[in-house]
Amino acid sequence: MDRPVRRIVIVGGGTAGWLAAATLAARLGSRPAPPTVTLIEAPDIPAIGVGEGTWPTFRATLADIGIDEAEFLSACNGSFKQGSRFDGWTSGAAGDSYLHPFTPPPSADPRDLVAAWRAAGADRPFASVVSAQAEICAQHLAPRHAAMQPYAGALNYAYHLDAGMLAALLRRHACGRLGVTHIADQVVGVEAGGNGDIAAVVTRGHGRVEGDLFLDCSGHAALLIGGHLGVPWINRSDLMLNDRALALQIPVAPGSPIASQTIGTAHEAGWIWDIGLPTRRGVGCVYASRFLDDEAAEAVLRAYLARTAPELDPGAIAPRRLVFPTGHRAEFWRANCLAVGLSAGFIEPLEASAIVTIELSLRALVDNFPASRSAMTLHAARFNRQFAARWDRIVDFLKLHYLLSRRDEPYWRAQRDPATVPPGLAELVALWRDQPPSAYDLPLADEIFPAASYQYVLYGMRPEWADRAALQGDPERVAPILSQIRQRARALAAALPSNRLSLHMLAADGGGGHVEGGRG
Amino acid sequence: MSRHVVVDSAAHRALRVRAEASAELGDAVMACFTMPAEFRRVQNEFPILFRRDLESGRFSALALFGFEDGENLFLTDRRWAARYRPLALAVQPFLVGRPADGEGPAQVHIDLDHPRISNGEDGVRLFDQDGGPTPYLEAATGQLGELDEGHRGSADFYAAIERFELLEPFTLDVQLDDGARRYLAGFHIVDEAKLRALDPGSLGALHGAGHLMPLFMAMASLSNLARLVERKNRAIRGG
Repeated sequence: MDRPVRRIVIVGGGTAGWLAAATLAARLGSRPAPPTVTLIEAPDIPAIGVGEGTWPTFRATLADIGIDEAEFLSACNGSFKQGSRFDGWTSGAAGDSYLHPFTPPPSADPRDLVAAWRAAGADRPFASVVSAQAEICAQHLAPRHAAMQPYAGALNYAYHLDAGMLAALLRRHACGRLGVTHIADQVVGVEAGGNGDIAAVVTRGHGRVEGDLFLDCSGHAALLIGGHLGVPWINRSDLMLNDRALALQIPVAPGSPIASQTIGTAHEAGWIWDIGLPTRRGVGCVYASRFLDDEAAEAVLRAYLARTAPELDPGAIAPRRLVFPTGHRAEFWRANCLAVGLSAGFIEPLEASAIVTIELSLRALVDNFPASRSAMTLHAARFNRQFAARWDRIVDFLKLHYLLSRRDEPYWRAQRDPATVPPGLAELVALWRDQPPSAYDLPLADEIFPAASYQYVLYGMRPEWADRAALQGDPERVAPILSQIRQRARALAAALPSNRLSLHMLAADGGGGHVEGGRG
Repeated sequence: MSRHVVVDSAAHRALRVRAEASAELGDAVMACFTMPAEFRRVQNEFPILFRRDLESGRFSALALFGFEDGENLFLTDRRWAARYRPLALAVQPFLVGRPADGEGPAQVHIDLDHPRISNGEDGVRLFDQDGGPTPYLEAATGQLGELDEGHRGSADFYAAIERFELLEPFTLDVQLDDGARRYLAGFHIVDEAKLRALDPGSLGALHGAGHLMPLFMAMASLSNLARLVERKNRAIRGG
C-alpha cells in the first residue's frame, strides 16, 4: 500500500490550477526524482477569474515560481495594490472613508500608538498616523522606486491583475519552462482505487490519467472532492449574507491616475469593488439577494458609475451576473485528493482572500510534501485542522467590517444581528472597547489576518472606540517613531513615481520583451 | 554648459531631480573635491589625495574613485557602492549661490542644465503639494550649508600645511591583474616623517586649530588605495 508520490494530477485550469501547477513544479522540481505534474483543463469551460486583487504574499509566490516581476506586470495588465479603502461603511455620510494599508503600524505597544494617535487630533485617521502608506496611496504613487530589485518595495504591496491573463502567463511558464504536462480535455469519470483513494481520472479523448496525488481545482463544480468523494459543503451564508455580484470592466483614459488601493464602497445592501488596472477598471456590485433584487442592484451600480465614471455611456453598461455559494468543504484533503481554490471554498471577495488561500494551501502542501502515500494521512488531518481554522478567521475578519457599521438599512441591521455573528468575534469586539486588538487575541501560530489588520478596520470605522484604550498608553513613548513615519511619508511622497509612470518604466526596462504571444 | 538660478517654490514647484547614482547623470568621474571638514567620513571609503592648483598655487583635496578619466569604480549597476558620498558630488545639481552683489547669506542655487534635472515625471520633487520644501530639498540645503562652511574653513588648514610644509609629492604606479599599468602623478600626500618630527608646540598649535585630526584622517585614507586597486582588478575580472 505504501507507495511513493511520483505523479501529481491537477484537474482544472484557472488561477488555482495553474498556480498549483507552477508552484509544485518549481518548488519540487529541484528535488532528486521530482514528481511529474500534469494539468487537465477542459478546453471550453471559461475560467471564472476569482478576484483581481492579491495579498503581498504573491510577490514571494511569483519569485518562487521564477517569473520576473516586470514580465508579470506587463503580461497580466497588473498594477500595484497597497491596501483597501472603505468608503461609506460606518455611516454612509460624506467623508466616511478609511484605509487598511498593507504596511503595518510600527512594532510598539498598541496602547501607546493609540494614545499618540488620539492626541494628534481628531481629524487625523489612524492609518495616516501609524503608516507612511496612507499619504502615498492618496497621491496615487507607486510603492517602489524603478531602480529597486524586483519584488522589493519602499512600502509593502501586492497587485491588482487580470485573472485570465494571469492563468495564461502561468500556463506558458509552467508548460514552457517548468515541464508541466498540459492535457486539454474534459474529465468524464473518476476511477476509485483502494482505501478511498482516486486511482485515475478518465478523460474524453486522452483516456485514463493515473496519479498518486490529485488536486481538485475544478472550481464550484468540485468534480473530485465533492462529486466523487462526496465531502460535504459547509454553508456559511447564515453569517455572510452576500450571495451575488454584478461585474463589469470599464476603459480608463490614457494617462489617468491608477488608484493605489482597492476601493470598496458600501451601499444599502452590500458594497461595490473598484480595482484600477492600467487600461481598465474592474467594478462590481456585491449584494444580498434577500435584501436587493438584481434590478435594484444594477441601479445601485449605475448610480456609482455615473458618479465615478461620468464619461461612460450608460448604454454600454452590461454587467455580468455572478451567483456565488458561501462556505467551504468539511474537509479539504481526503484520501489522496486535495481541493484548492473554489472547490475548497469561497467567501465574498471583501478582503481578497481567494488567491491568498490558494497560495497558503500550496505552501502548506509543498512545505510538507508527502514522500509516500502513508504520510499523506497525517498531513491531510493536519491540513484540515489548519484550514478549518483559517476559514473561520476569514469569516470573523470579514464580519468585523459589517459589525462595526452604524448604517441603518435593513441589510446592515441584519449583518449586525447577533444570530449572524460568530460568538468568538462578538467577545473580541466587546474586549476591543477597552483595549486594542493584539496578538493575544489571535493566538494561532499562523494567523491569516494579523492584529494590525483588525486595528486598521476597528480604528478606521470606530475611532472613538480607542479612547478608553488610549488612557492606558503613553504617547511620549512612541513620539520618536511616529515622527520618523511622518518624515518618511514626506520623503517618499517627494521621491516615488506615480503608479502609471512606475509601470511604464518597468515595461520599458525590459519586462515587455519577454512576453510571448498574447491572450488567445 | 550651465544655467544657475535661485531655487524658488513658485518657479520650481513641479521640478524633479533624478537623485540616483548613474554615469549618465554625471557620476562617471575619477575623483571629486573634498574638504578637511569631511575627511573623517571620506577616509572610511576613499583615498584622499592633495593637488596644487597650477594657477592659484593653492592646495585642495580630492576623494579618489578610479585611475583614469571618467572611471568611477564605486559606480556599479546604477548603484553607489559605498556608504558615503562626498558632499561635492551629493549636492549636485545644487550649488551654493550668492546674491548678485556678491554679499549676503548663501542661497540654494540649482543648475537647470545639469543632467540630473528631470524632464519627465520621474525623480524627486523639491516642493510638496503645499509648496513646502521636501525632505530631499531640506537635506540638500543642509549639505550645501555644510559644504559652504567647510570650504570657508579650509583656507586656514591649507595655510597651516604650507607653513609646516606637511605635504610631499606622490606618484602611484600600479600593475593590474591583466598586466596593464596605471600611473597617478601630480598629487601630494601628508609627509608622515615631517609630521612626526614636529615639536610639541607646533603640534599643539595644529591641534588647537583643529587641523591635526584631518591630517591623520588623510594619512589613514591611503590604506584605501590598495582596496581601490582590488576594486579595479575585480572590475577587470568581471569583464
